[in-house]
Amino acid sequence: MSLQVSSPSESALSTAAEKRAIYLANLLDVSKRSPTTSPWLKELRDHATVRVQEQTFPTTRDEEWRFTDLSALLQTPLVAVEQPVVSLSLEAIAPFILPEAKASQLVFVNGKYAPHLSCVTDLPEAIVIGNLSTLAGTDGERLRPYLAQQPGAEEVFTALNTTGLSDAALVLVPKGVAIDTPIHLLFIATASNTASNTALIQPRVLVVAETNSAATLIEDYGAIGSGTYFNNSVTEIWIAENAQVNHTRVQRDGHHAFHIGKTAVSQARTSRYTCNAMSMGAQLSRHHLEIYQTGEQTETTLNGLTLLHGDQIGDTHSAIALTHPHGTTRQLHKCIIDDRAHAIFNGKVFVPKAAQLTDAGQLNRNLLLSSKARVDTKPQLEIVADNVKCTHGATVGQLEADEVFYLQSRGIDVSDARQLLVYAFAFEVIDQIAIASLRRTLAELVQCRSMGLRKAKI
Amino acid sequence: MTTTVTSLVNQPYKYGFVTDIESDVIPRGLSEDVVRLISSKKNEPEFMLEFRLKAYRQWLKMAEPNWAEVGYPAIDYQNIIYYSAPKQKEKLNSLEEVDPTLLETFEKLGISLSEQKRLSNVAVDAIFDSVSVATTFREKLAKDGVIFCSISEAMREYPELVQKYLGSVVPVGDNYFAALNSAVFSDGSFVYIPKGTKCPMELSTYFRINNGDSGQFERTLIVAEAGSSVSYLEGCTAPMFDTNQLHAAVVELVALDDAEIKYSTVQNWYAGDKDGKGGIYNFVTKRGLCQGVNSKISWTQVETGSAITWKYPSCVLVGDNSVGEFYSVALTNNCQQADTGTKMVHIGKNTRSTIISKGISAGRSENSYRGLVKIGPKADGARNYSQCDSMLIGDNAGANTFPYIQVQNHTAKVEHEASTSKIGEDQLFFFAQRGVSSEDAISMMISGFCKDVFNQLPMEFAVEADRLLSLKLEGSVG
Repeated sequence: MSLQVSSPSESALSTAAEKRAIYLANLLDVSKRSPTTSPWLKELRDHATVRVQEQTFPTTRDEEWRFTDLSALLQTPLVAVEQPVVSLSLEAIAPFILPEAKASQLVFVNGKYAPHLSCVTDLPEAIVIGNLSTLAGTDGERLRPYLAQQPGAEEVFTALNTTGLSDAALVLVPKGVAIDTPIHLLFIATASNTASNTALIQPRVLVVAETNSAATLIEDYGAIGSGTYFNNSVTEIWIAENAQVNHTRVQRDGHHAFHIGKTAVSQARTSRYTCNAMSMGAQLSRHHLEIYQTGEQTETTLNGLTLLHGDQIGDTHSAIALTHPHGTTRQLHKCIIDDRAHAIFNGKVFVPKAAQLTDAGQLNRNLLLSSKARVDTKPQLEIVADNVKCTHGATVGQLEADEVFYLQSRGIDVSDARQLLVYAFAFEVIDQIAIASLRRTLAELVQCRSMGLRKAKI
Repeated sequence: MTTTVTSLVNQPYKYGFVTDIESDVIPRGLSEDVVRLISSKKNEPEFMLEFRLKAYRQWLKMAEPNWAEVGYPAIDYQNIIYYSAPKQKEKLNSLEEVDPTLLETFEKLGISLSEQKRLSNVAVDAIFDSVSVATTFREKLAKDGVIFCSISEAMREYPELVQKYLGSVVPVGDNYFAALNSAVFSDGSFVYIPKGTKCPMELSTYFRINNGDSGQFERTLIVAEAGSSVSYLEGCTAPMFDTNQLHAAVVELVALDDAEIKYSTVQNWYAGDKDGKGGIYNFVTKRGLCQGVNSKISWTQVETGSAITWKYPSCVLVGDNSVGEFYSVALTNNCQQADTGTKMVHIGKNTRSTIISKGISAGRSENSYRGLVKIGPKADGARNYSQCDSMLIGDNAGANTFPYIQVQNHTAKVEHEASTSKIGEDQLFFFAQRGVSSEDAISMMISGFCKDVFNQLPMEFAVEADRLLSLKLEGSVG
């Protein structure tokens, strides 16, 4: 009797597991189809292939994916990006162009470099910027120690990206060079809603800031057309001694898109890194943000804003691994969740014995705007060093009735008052972005969202 | 902050003696026959045997959890004695008939069971290995209709109450250790407070493990009827053995409309020696159900003992306006490992919960706070405030926090904050300037750090807990 009862559920389990295995195998197959000729790239790809094969497709039974249900992705069969890539005109991407970075931008369409849209004339000669396939020959040796060498590369989606590594956006800022002009790395996906196939797009970015250099970087994911696609991006940033990188990451993928992105940063002694991560697009998105310290006295500032509505799921998993003394980290992550959306935040901070005199602060604040909105948050501190200052906090709430009332008492109607408060909540993060035009665009977007103008540009 | 704190910790464990007493012990190992044997030894009603067997069969299908931040060699469940009771006369009529060796043991532990010396206004149920040996003040309590006895007696005398509530908060298959406990539990305390009654005295249970090879599986059930209130305290100690003993208890609390239960624990099981040899594995499931409107359950725990602690006293807030509280001090030293915290599950409207957790880690110990605050979709106006602070003494100890916050209602308000600190040289210097020795200074700072929690303990035990902590920490800073 018990056999009869248990066998169907067991077989259902095993078919689900099989389905995931088949899906992952297919992903790997699609990924590996992207062309490459370089033997060292091939070596990297083969190594990553083995890593993917060792793993299984994550489920909510895995602690790391407990609240992030990937079943929607699992039901979407993926194909490789069509070749040749659709050609876009400069007008078509005009809404994404930042006036401050007009002549310092690299544009990738569906993960492939678009030379006719890119322009880097504003940048100093010394800087190496471009795409991997054209630079590999000349600067290949300079890049080899960095590409796909960040810790955490074994994570399944990161490894998957590496298995299809054929091209990447590259930025190398040489010793002592400080660039004032922001560098805009724009990744456009074109997916019309009539397309029957869902493409796997795997953008890749490598940034190296050598000793005493400084750069401002905007990594921007956007879409033309409202079709479905899967953006699986990986960004590796290496910051050498006393160098400084200000990184803004904007994820405004299409409404039906899937986005899983990794940002892995290694910081050497006395380096400074700032990340402003804005996540507002995609039906299902996840951002892995990993900071590795390779020297002492580093400064790390992470600001994040997740803006969700409709049925969106937005996940941020950050990990700060401190391994040297005197590190300072400041993290602020805010989520605004409307409709039936679901936000997830997991922020890990590791302070082992070696990381004495660490000063780490983390705050996660969540604003729930509707009765069906949901949030799962887990700030996590693991500390062994005793001479440290570590704090973390998390709050979940709605708009304060008192605050709304205060504004009402001054003649502002309820909806305007609410909008103003939501805007203020978001602006604390948006205000950290160094580029004025981007700040404006994002601020407008927050306002449109809070006014309920759901069709506003994304 | 050097030699003084180190010498503080190395204080010997004064409860580490073994009582030489003849015991009724069943063979090692666990099987369906053992479960039946335990049940028959205790003359249990039929429904209890079914309850145990159901739990046992569930347990067989379950796997030991491995998610906690603790490490220990695999437990051989077939090498544990599941029932050990001091041999005694058939039925006890009064305390005079209790084996004097036992009375002496409890006397030594500072728990006087004899009429004249006992703590006034505290009724005690003393549990030795697998059975309850004495319960004081029973008659006085009975005058108010309060039932306070061992759970074995309750099963025989109040089967309908036990049947109704046992397993209603922690179901037999709740988790691996709860299932094991449900199958083999031997004794524990049962408290029933009738409608509208304020329990006239503090109730308390004292647990003592004596046999080096037996596990202790006790079960506590407290039911507070509408409008009643009770304060309950448990204490525990064990002798020093080189082997590890398993202690897997289940505590269930049920609070009906307007009822209030305050449950305090001072846990001082043997923690193992300084190299981590021996000590108790304390794998405990504690859960309170605020079933009625305006009910309140408050957990206060001072965790200083055990080699490993795995314990999450929880509140399920079903009734509207119900309140859950959790106050905890967890101290780990040497090689102790603690993964403890709470769960606050908000289901009813306007439910409120407060979590105050203080972790102190010294030596090479690991101290984790793991908590869950879950606000269900119907818990309108729910409110939670959590604060967990860690103090690290020495740079080989670990302090981790794993707070899970899950909110599905937008009218809820949840706040969580955590901090980590150490006793600063400047603070010690400040004390030294004023002529306070560093030992006293540390002890003062620690009691200040834990004040929020100690304030929740009944008076006598707050003093006891304070002393316990300074004893435990003696010499740990160095």
